[in-house]
Amino acid sequence: MFNLKTASLGAAFILAASWSLAGEALDRVMESKTLTVATDPAWPPQSFLNDNQEMDGFDVDVAREIARRLGVGVEFVTPDWSLITGGRWAGRWDISVGSMTPTPARAEVLQFPAIYYYVPASAAVHNDSDAKTIADLNGRKIGVSAGSTWEEYLKHELVISAIGAPEFEYQITPGELQSFDASAFNVVDQLRIGDGVRIEGMVDSLSALNNAIAEGYPIRVVGDPLFYEPLAVAIDLGDEAFNGKVAGIIAGMKADGTLKGLSEKWYGTDYTSTK
Amino acid sequence: MDNAQPKAGIIQIRGMNKWYGSFHALKDINLTVRLGERIVVCGPSGSGKSTMIRCINRLEAHQSGSISVDGIELHEDMRQIDVVRQEVGMVFQHFNLFPHLTVLENLTAGPMWVKNTPRTEAEANARTYLKRVNILEQADKYPGQLSGGQQQRVAIARSLCMEPKVLLFDEPTSALDPEMVSEVLDVMTGLARGGMTMICVTHEMGFAKAVADRVVFMDAGQIVEEGAPVEFFGNPRSRRTRDFLSQVLQH
Amino acid sequence: MLFADTVRNRGLHEKPRIILALFVLSSLLAWWAGGGAAGYAALFPVREAALGLLGDLGLACLLGAAFTANLVLISRFRFRLQVLIVWAELLTLFLLFFLAFDLSFPFILKKLPYLITQGAVTTVYVSAISIAIASVIAIIGAVAKLSSNGFAFAVASFYTSLFRGLPLLVQIYLLYLGLPQLGIYIDAIPAGIIALSLCYGAYMTEVFRAGILSIPAGQWEASRSMGFKFGLTMRRIILPQSVPVIIPPLGNQFIAMLKDSSLVSVLGIWELMFLARTLGNKEFRHLEMLITVAVIYWVLTILFELVQARIEAYFQKHRKR
Repeated sequence: MFNLKTASLGAAFILAASWSLAGEALDRVMESKTLTVATDPAWPPQSFLNDNQEMDGFDVDVAREIARRLGVGVEFVTPDWSLITGGRWAGRWDISVGSMTPTPARAEVLQFPAIYYYVPASAAVHNDSDAKTIADLNGRKIGVSAGSTWEEYLKHELVISAIGAPEFEYQITPGELQSFDASAFNVVDQLRIGDGVRIEGMVDSLSALNNAIAEGYPIRVVGDPLFYEPLAVAIDLGDEAFNGKVAGIIAGMKADGTLKGLSEKWYGTDYTSTK
Repeated sequence: MDNAQPKAGIIQIRGMNKWYGSFHALKDINLTVRLGERIVVCGPSGSGKSTMIRCINRLEAHQSGSISVDGIELHEDMRQIDVVRQEVGMVFQHFNLFPHLTVLENLTAGPMWVKNTPRTEAEANARTYLKRVNILEQADKYPGQLSGGQQQRVAIARSLCMEPKVLLFDEPTSALDPEMVSEVLDVMTGLARGGMTMICVTHEMGFAKAVADRVVFMDAGQIVEEGAPVEFFGNPRSRRTRDFLSQVLQH
Repeated sequence: MLFADTVRNRGLHEKPRIILALFVLSSLLAWWAGGGAAGYAALFPVREAALGLLGDLGLACLLGAAFTANLVLISRFRFRLQVLIVWAELLTLFLLFFLAFDLSFPFILKKLPYLITQGAVTTVYVSAISIAIASVIAIIGAVAKLSSNGFAFAVASFYTSLFRGLPLLVQIYLLYLGLPQLGIYIDAIPAGIIALSLCYGAYMTEVFRAGILSIPAGQWEASRSMGFKFGLTMRRIILPQSVPVIIPPLGNQFIAMLKDSSLVSVLGIWELMFLARTLGNKEFRHLEMLITVAVIYWVLTILFELVQARIEAYFQKHRKR
């Protein structure tokens, strides 16, 4: 009797669930008239909380534009980055506009409708450092965000699955790699303490490094960008219609210069193509 | 003799045995208590007196034989244990008042929560009984603020509030300072004179002589002897009774 | 306080050798710290003008002497005054430590209202709801664990074992990521609350069990002898009496939960810790935000300790003489 009850209860749950999953992403967005966007506001200038405690930044503007072109409203949720990249969103949000690098591992659980810009990754050192060229960083202790493409680059394990990703070479072989949990530590803060106190150099996005320098951090960028990282919007697996729709919208934003305008607004330069 | 008037016995114990593990605590107990009867149970410590009366409201379980209270047989699967317990009040050696409730709340708890008596009625009743045990002025205090004797009188009043048919007393004066024993015994004597059916486990032989209809003497888990006080104290039949009496009465 | 003796022990501060040792130790420490810590230089600009070894040593001795004299002086005051002075001194040191970070106070002031209205409020309400649900779970768990029913005991002991055995963060992820795979869809805040409730319910089951066991058997017997059924006895007699036993550990659990609730920030709930990590990002003011939420957490804890003292006093009212 008891078992029967639990079993039927479980069945009811599963039925309710498959029903909620049956409506595909595009239907859900159009029905609710809301595009729910997941993005982590810990990454200025792509995404952050502005002085009014509102979501703001390049990614946020791109997401708003996608929603506008879909003809729906937009809502932001802020789950941990690992929850976004892990896939299996269960319909909690519809799309990630979060400067995500489309790697093969991520492609197993997510779909990437379009690359919307490329960000150069660069190396930086403390102002007191004697390093002049990228080659000078070989054998030194380099800091990087755990789980990032920069970490994979430094481990010489980086594979970018996206079509059109530019060629690159591994130019740095660190003596020691120090990874920091991105949600708790900002790597520039580790470098700012002093040359070699915790780390002797770091790799991050050029835009983030420039941002830190503008805020007065005692660091400088070394050499040219190491590689250009393609960054894509991501959706959950299994909705080709939504995939096509988003791809079309991004293509349109590229074609009419909207994307370029947003890039110049937030980065001061056009990152929507590689140079 | 017990079989002569079975209907009149409000409590009937027949061939009752109880074990704690392998220890045979009560051996073949037979006892009938009639309505209005006052029984004093005495005997050396460890003789099973307390265990026996705790079986009557089934705070303890017996393993063989039978106990019936007001015609209801006590056993493991019974449904009416709450009814039996409402009819059989119990006064404990250590009072067991509810320390987080005031004296008045201790008295109204049973009637209000179990019998759904309205508060005003329950409180009026409670005050009547508090007056009867001479402690009305302490109604709003907490048990911890009272002396032992006062607490035991409150405990008696609490039992009375449930208007039981039988009252069980489990060594009600043993935990008291000597000067407080008499105030409790006075209340008990008053109850006895009022016609309450009582079974008292006690060492107070004076009380037994004064009010008991029957004295039951137990030793080593058995009822050794029972009889009217005059007979029991004047002419005890068994040697164990004589030994016991000589010890408790020489004080 | 411990059970005090009527004869006063001679305190350490009354033994000259100890005082001397304290002085030497603290002077050495000051000397050593003076060589390395930047904060020392900031506090004593004198040192910038190189004093030489002798000057350094003299300064260190001065500090050591001040520290020792401070201790000896405080030891002569009455208890309450001692407590007051030591608290004030430690608090000042703590603030000086923060000041040494060169924080931007305008930035803190700008973000403070939002940290409180959004962050602290979310933290408190998530914790409060969770502790309430956890208490209910804990009562049921405790009764089940004390039950003679093998099924109830097995379920309850499996539950406490599992949820005490897994890190809270793992539970949060499992609930949030795992349940949708079974088709059970839970939003971030409910998922966070459920995870906190289940985890703390497991810990508190033991607290309630101990509370229930602390009530003497006589209370059960008295209740039974009056015909009270199990539920009534539990609700009106046993639990109210176990409250004074339960409240102190329960308060501890709540305070721990206030801080553990920061773990649900991974689900994107905008509570204190989430805001601490994101608000300072744009301007690279992480330390400001971390220190501010540290202080907010601390103040919340102190406020709750006061509430707890009130609750304890209320349930102790029958103990008054």
